[in-house]
Amino acid sequence: MEWLNPYHLQVASFMLINAILGVSIYVTLSTGQLSLGNAGFMSIGAYTAALLSTQHQLPIPVGILAGSLLAGAAGILVGIPSLRLSGVYLAIATLGFGEVVRAVLINWESLTRGAVGIAAIPQVGRVILVWARDRGFSPESLGLQSNQFISLTVFLILLFSTLLTVAFFLRLSRSRVGRAYAAIRLDESAAAAAGIPTTYYKVLAFSQGALLSGFAGALFAHSTSFVSPGDFTYHRAVEILVFAVFGGSEHIIGPVFGAAFLTLVPEALRAISEYRYILYGILLVLMMVFRPQGVIDPALLRRFRRSGKGTPA
Amino acid sequence: MSSLLSLRNIGKSFGGLSALSGISFDVEPGEIVGVIGPNGAGKTTLFNVVTAIYPSTEGEVLFDGERISGLPPHTITKRGITRTFQNIRLFSTMTVEENVMVGRHCRTGAGVWRGVLRTRGERREERGIRGKTRELLDLVGLSGTDREMAAGSLPYGHQRRLEIARALAAEPRLLLLDEPVAGMNDAETQEVFRLIKRVQALGVTILLIEHDMSLVMKACDRLVVFNFGRKIAAGTPSEIRDDPQVIEAYLGAAERDADA
Repeated sequence: MEWLNPYHLQVASFMLINAILGVSIYVTLSTGQLSLGNAGFMSIGAYTAALLSTQHQLPIPVGILAGSLLAGAAGILVGIPSLRLSGVYLAIATLGFGEVVRAVLINWESLTRGAVGIAAIPQVGRVILVWARDRGFSPESLGLQSNQFISLTVFLILLFSTLLTVAFFLRLSRSRVGRAYAAIRLDESAAAAAGIPTTYYKVLAFSQGALLSGFAGALFAHSTSFVSPGDFTYHRAVEILVFAVFGGSEHIIGPVFGAAFLTLVPEALRAISEYRYILYGILLVLMMVFRPQGVIDPALLRRFRRSGKGTPA
Repeated sequence: MSSLLSLRNIGKSFGGLSALSGISFDVEPGEIVGVIGPNGAGKTTLFNVVTAIYPSTEGEVLFDGERISGLPPHTITKRGITRTFQNIRLFSTMTVEENVMVGRHCRTGAGVWRGVLRTRGERREERGIRGKTRELLDLVGLSGTDREMAAGSLPYGHQRRLEIARALAAEPRLLLLDEPVAGMNDAETQEVFRLIKRVQALGVTILLIEHDMSLVMKACDRLVVFNFGRKIAAGTPSEIRDDPQVIEAYLGAAERDADA
């Protein structure tokens, strides 16, 4: 089991958390709304989960659920007034929201410990290892060292969460609600004339994106066991957007691919890390020029299916 | 019997510019009523007011005896008024079938959870949507090979018919058609004429904006004539043909259309 490297598993885990974040912006974008607030919603989920488990000793799943729901509720509150805005104006307003959340996290020191952040959040892999050892299980019996077991457990939980998320929204996109989202994105007033309550669906999609960001944030808190406001800056918001821009936002596989690829490449290029953001930037410029719809679009997926090489969707 | 649609003194101005003023007329159940008039006369503005794309500045719209002014567009669709657009507005990257399926939205109810869990009720509902969609595509004459295509890649005339199918998917009692044969040749116009008659036979009342005079005269039971945002005449096609005001305001344009 030497090949099971905790570092590789950690990179893979970040790929999965980012994939969920990619889906979170995809959901909002699927109604044509551009949100840069997902880092803010992510921080709401992360801090809620972190505080509930460190201050109130609540079980990890309760914290994750509460963090997701609180972020989703914040999404409704931000989403309703934001409906008056569209395009770049919505992006600016939601970016502002993210910065407000971060300012609150930094300044509400009695609750959040300010810029220092919250440490010693129960790490889900460790918690499960302790639980298993109490019941007489030892990872060594599987040929795993403790740290391998911990990283592997985190990875598997995140993999399950990501697959569940993708399956949920893939099915949603092929349902009545998904058709309504797509119709609103393609032509909002034609959608309204076709009988779709556009306001309802736009708020729904916005808060689903927020809930998913909060979910990713809560998973992040319990995977890294440390969160601070510095994890949720506007760089994070832009990074989430780039997952969708690079990977493609017309099919759910696009942002998942974008998140995985853009998490992996900087790690692989650590040797030339001084230049990696330059490469990153060049990549985005090239995308805008040659493939503005992103790497993966429905036409590409159809070609895959026809050639019978496999069905990525 | 009460009128299906009653317009009472409708006025609409954009800033200081009056696009419609003092428009009143009724549409009776089962009729085909044509709205004609030169370009810029306010015909499309009237459709936009009725379907709440934007609110009227004056007057009220009654549908089936109830006031619908002030309701949001999707509620008006659900009450039973749907429309097509002068500049076709399909969901261009969706398939032909999906466009019609979107039109079923207000007659179906599956939400997020039922859609994701694919409950038995949801699957039945989806089958119903697909069945109705096929039926409507048959009605407007879009064949099987077209149905998987992206709506935006259909030939122009087919796009117009697809828009009618999408509008019918909501089971309207009143269908507003905004220049359904604009840019079509004679054969295509004939097909749309027959389609309009088939739709009427299904019990749908039709309000029709059209510049093609031969179609209007043949298809419509009554005509309302607009000029500069006002109603200048109303009556049967033959009455309108002989109305001196209409001839003055409009027939120059009609002759040009007849040549085309």
